[in-house]
Amino acid sequence: MIKIKNLSRYYQMGPTTVKAIDDIDLSIGGGEFVSIIGPSGSGKSTLMNIIGCLDSPTSGTYTLAGEETAALSKDMLAEIRNRHIGFVFQNFNLLPRESAVENVELPLIYAGVPVKERRQRALEILKRVDLEGREFHLPNELSGGQRQRVAIARALAVNPKILLADEPTGALDTKTGAQIMDLFRELQSEGVTLIMVTHDRDVAAQGKRIVEIRDGHILTDVPAEEWEK
Amino acid sequence: MKTFKFTESLKMSLRSITSNKIRSFLTALGVMIGVAAVITLVALGNGSQKAVETSLQSLGSNLLIVYSGQPKGPSLVRRNTTNIAPALSKDDLEFIKSLPESMVLHAAPESSASGQVKYGNTNTGATVVGTDTGYAAIRNFHPIYGSFFTQSDIDARKPVAVIGSQVYKDLFDSGFDPLGQKIRINGIGFKVIGIMEEKGSSSTDTQVFIPISTFQKYISGSSKYALINIQAANLETMRELQKFIEDELLHMHRIASMDAADFYIANQLDLLSTMEGVAGTFTLLLASIAAISLIVGGIGIMNIMLVAVTERTREIGIRMSLGAKSKDILSQFLTEAIILSVGGGLIGIFIGISAAYGANRFGGMASVISVQSILLAFGFAVITGLFFGGYPAYQASKLDPIEALRYE
Repeated sequence: MIKIKNLSRYYQMGPTTVKAIDDIDLSIGGGEFVSIIGPSGSGKSTLMNIIGCLDSPTSGTYTLAGEETAALSKDMLAEIRNRHIGFVFQNFNLLPRESAVENVELPLIYAGVPVKERRQRALEILKRVDLEGREFHLPNELSGGQRQRVAIARALAVNPKILLADEPTGALDTKTGAQIMDLFRELQSEGVTLIMVTHDRDVAAQGKRIVEIRDGHILTDVPAEEWEK
Repeated sequence: MKTFKFTESLKMSLRSITSNKIRSFLTALGVMIGVAAVITLVALGNGSQKAVETSLQSLGSNLLIVYSGQPKGPSLVRRNTTNIAPALSKDDLEFIKSLPESMVLHAAPESSASGQVKYGNTNTGATVVGTDTGYAAIRNFHPIYGSFFTQSDIDARKPVAVIGSQVYKDLFDSGFDPLGQKIRINGIGFKVIGIMEEKGSSSTDTQVFIPISTFQKYISGSSKYALINIQAANLETMRELQKFIEDELLHMHRIASMDAADFYIANQLDLLSTMEGVAGTFTLLLASIAAISLIVGGIGIMNIMLVAVTERTREIGIRMSLGAKSKDILSQFLTEAIILSVGGGLIGIFIGISAAYGANRFGGMASVISVQSILLAFGFAVITGLFFGGYPAYQASKLDPIEALRYE
């Protein structure tokens, strides 16, 4: 599903070059549940942005679902984001003036799905994440856990191959965080590839495979059961 | 995958516009005022131009007027002729009348005074005009009822009068036949022999025409004329004719140059072009003022759109992360700017037409609403929206999704 080879991402900060990611190789298969962990400044966010096609590498190759992304234009990347990737953010990133169902419809709008079908699909997905009855609430009328479930529903709306979660439980209490993780495991069992970025070792341990990043390099890449917290 | 449809942009824009109604209204208000100003001011400018043309045409065609005295003020046309001291003699008139028909078709002397006209117990103010038989033809101004006085009336200095339509309305009951009735002008009895047609101009319709000889005897007591109306034989040679008459009259009056002359000649061609020029400049001036207000309206749109883009940076980032392309974002914000300008423009058209109509109906100002000015103003409003909304929309579309998502 994801093949990363000799991938680097440098930033030019005045005279100095910051190597956010330096020569990384990483492959993730379909249906995996991978936790990427590292302290802040380790390069994990940069790696996630590149996997999410929000950013392009300085050098190296990134192949997503057989498609080499380095050569793609901004618009093509936008299309890949729309079709293949669902984002779940720490702070949910819902549009505050749109109701739950309208938020879920957003990626479908950009995918060109007709109005009726769009609404029907959005309602189904909200039901899937147990938000039946809350479809027409505004985000500020929902609890944190509910908002994150709206965000997950939105990420799932176009049936993406990959769900990218950036600190998905960071803004939630332990109990609701655990519910979200349960939902992730369910989704994984249904075949969705899950990539979760976190600095929290307990959260990371919920994944099936742990990739630890430090200073732009991969430190360890092991199955969860072999990982030393 | 399919293209992001315009209707989606439209929906998003409408939602955003209606979610902040006061701000949207104020933004559109600039364009509204601009468009309304263009339409109203151009209508008033056109109206005054039209009024000038009509009043000039009502003077008659191929008209030269010899006035007594020096030219006064910038305007060649003398609205008020009652205060001109008569200085043109019978010899001057005879000379002009002696010119061949290939040069002068008609010539008629004219002197006027303001006077009180009385019928029974009713009285009204009027301009009493003494002239001769050629006047009606030169000024293209004829009796609608009864007849103009004749040469024999002039020769006999008869106290007969042809009254203006407004004078008739002021003195008589509607439908009353005034022919043969005796009216008094400044205390002197006159017999009404005709009513002039209505010209729609108050200064023209409040005149009373009497034979020039009668005027000289009873009213002015002078044998001179205030002015001489001349109808030139053709339009092309009017300026040459004017020069010729000037030279001859200077010679007859023994005066060296026009600078020292005791008369001057106004040429209808000059009047027309001067007046039209003035009115045209006036319209242009009004239109430019209005256009400036449209530009200011456009800047208002740009200002608000820039604020909106900044405020909604995070929204833009979210939309981009969900697959919105640059052109989707561009289209969303541009549509919003265009809705504001088009909406403002449409309301502006309505206000502009109402104001132009109101100025005419209630303010007594001449206004001619031109379709061109409506199209121009509206087109300009749309272009304003595109142009001033384009930059903020472009800014929005070029945002980096990562930066935009991080924006607090």
